[in-house]
Amino acid sequence: MKLYDYILSPSCYKVRLMAALTGVKLDIRPVDFHPGAEHRGQELLALNPAGSIPILEDGDLILTESSAMLVYLAAKVAPSWLGSGGAEETARVQQWLSFSSRLTASLGGARLHEMLLRPGDFGALQSQGIASLRELEAGLVEQGLHGMGFLASDRPTVADIACFPYVVLAPDGGVSLDPYPAIRLWSRALRSLENFIEMPGIHRLHELKPEPHIEPGKV
Amino acid sequence: MIDEWYPVGLFSQLDAVGRRTALMGEPIDVARDAEGNAKVTGGNGRALPACVRYGHVWSSLGTPQKALFAIPEADQPGRRFVDVGVVRVRCSPLRAVENFLDIAHFPFVHTDLLGAEPHTEVQNYKVEIREDEVWATQVKFYQPQAAKSASGGITTEYIYRVPAPTCSVLYKTCPPRPSEWDVITLFVQPLAEDLCDVWPWMALFDDTTSMTDLIHFQQTIFLQDRSILENQIPRLLPLDPGMEIPTRADLTSVAYRRWLKRRNYTYGAQLVAQ
Amino acid sequence: MPARIPAGSIALWRTQSGRVTASADRCPHRGMRLSHGFVRGEALSCIYHGWSYGQTGECLRIPAHPGLTPPETIRVAAHAVEEAWGVIWVAVGETTAEPPRFEGFVPLRSLTAHADLATLKAATGATAGTAGLDWPAPGAPEIRLLSVPQEGYETLIHVLVPGDSSPAQRIAASRAAETLRRTAEDIQAKGLAPWSTTR
Repeated sequence: MKLYDYILSPSCYKVRLMAALTGVKLDIRPVDFHPGAEHRGQELLALNPAGSIPILEDGDLILTESSAMLVYLAAKVAPSWLGSGGAEETARVQQWLSFSSRLTASLGGARLHEMLLRPGDFGALQSQGIASLRELEAGLVEQGLHGMGFLASDRPTVADIACFPYVVLAPDGGVSLDPYPAIRLWSRALRSLENFIEMPGIHRLHELKPEPHIEPGKV
Repeated sequence: MIDEWYPVGLFSQLDAVGRRTALMGEPIDVARDAEGNAKVTGGNGRALPACVRYGHVWSSLGTPQKALFAIPEADQPGRRFVDVGVVRVRCSPLRAVENFLDIAHFPFVHTDLLGAEPHTEVQNYKVEIREDEVWATQVKFYQPQAAKSASGGITTEYIYRVPAPTCSVLYKTCPPRPSEWDVITLFVQPLAEDLCDVWPWMALFDDTTSMTDLIHFQQTIFLQDRSILENQIPRLLPLDPGMEIPTRADLTSVAYRRWLKRRNYTYGAQLVAQ
Repeated sequence: MPARIPAGSIALWRTQSGRVTASADRCPHRGMRLSHGFVRGEALSCIYHGWSYGQTGECLRIPAHPGLTPPETIRVAAHAVEEAWGVIWVAVGETTAEPPRFEGFVPLRSLTAHADLATLKAATGATAGTAGLDWPAPGAPEIRLLSVPQEGYETLIHVLVPGDSSPAQRIAASRAAETLRRTAEDIQAKGLAPWSTTR
């Protein structure tokens, strides 16, 4: 499976993260998104006329939507990430998968504007981002009251992976995460999963490893 | 301060339309003129000094008294030059440079790339002023993956150089060519006292890694720093001692702050402890 | 986690053994916010260089110098903290007073509104209780609100509900709090120009 990837793209990171969590080995093809704008070049437009990344290629299958890629990886090797199959849970997974595109537009837009100087109405993007974070926070509070720690279930699903990157990187776009305690706990739970990988902007949870005993002068 | 040269854009990305940006609070336009030269225009339409060097366009709001600092390695055959591209950071340009001069944060911020516990000790190194530049030499640190071309952990040696208040040049162990140094720079464009555009640039001996991989590696490193830089209090760099506590590992930072203060370079700095 | 008190931003953290500490949110080394740090055992470490601090604020460890015992002069301010009935209270300065008790109530959630305290009161029509606001929320159990002014016109609202509320009642209370926030923010946006332009 070949992933056309940009290291700073949260959407690409979703796929890398899902693959890491499910033990899938990806063949990474780095794309010079910034500063080279390679995603707008002929080679990549031939694969994805929309000019966006990530692109996932597996044999004849070409996927250009990150949510579809998460579902594909899960269906192939780890179906439990799709949820238990009950009507409510299936719907909740779909609900948050769709919702994740709003995070991409708002928080992702604010981040690209602040970090890589892409055009956009920064104030509007931030306000929409805050509105989305509030929705997510409220959703997580209600899940918690049902005894469930994740967006669709009591265990993580593709819905969590679809929402997590743009949320946790919101500060990159000048949107503070300080006001969202439920999001903080959810994010920590995801970051504590076995085989979790980071992307730039998400620091290692150093508390997961014990304090090393260091002999001075031996380094 | 206004007479210094500052980076204002990547030359390879300039077109006739140009880019609208800012330098120390003043809106400026950076474009390519009909002859293909870089042209920089100030807020009131006046032509600003411009030169092209190390992949970037450089300009100044004042009248630079001397040519842009030299990086002799930039003319050395066999090196690959990497335009890493711009990243905006909400911090003082001086905080961005100071962070670049720091190695003690590697295990915590660049975990498993430039550093990892338990290898956190910073051994003694030398800091001096050479021809009015800050130099730190014999800086050594254990790194799990020092460069894209490195496989496995090595003890890397660094030389740091601050040739201008918002620029730093780093010479670093070059895994494929032990007799040479890789050159990694941080050129910082001050947009305001607490806002900057950072333009990393590299001149490397590495014939195997793809250009995109090289860019991504450096962008990874810098973006790991960005969330630190945007959360330091205060945003401006305190030049007076007392506000922050340095240790032996911070000698480069101490020398940099003193050097700025002696030159009276206060743009992006905080002088009195508040 | 970060929190805000009138004295400024604090890093609120819980040690492995369960003790809560409120430290100043700034590492004295390079000014990094300590609320971005990590807790190992009984110490909070800064994410930037790993300097770690104990509950009384003393610096315990500087990883760049493993052999060095940090001098006592390196410390972060710590505020007095009390935990009572699921609510963490931080004292600014010296206090001997016990924090208020909310017997029978449990914390539900905390949320931030872009509205000041007066607007919030207007939006609830609440009466001031012994501490906090008693709010007869429509369609929900009796709710008690604790509000803490934040920066600008923001207010942090802690929502408490009776401990015997059912899950359905708690969800209703959470939704009522969202409605309250919308109402308060509407009033604030219409009534006060400064907030709507500086947001």
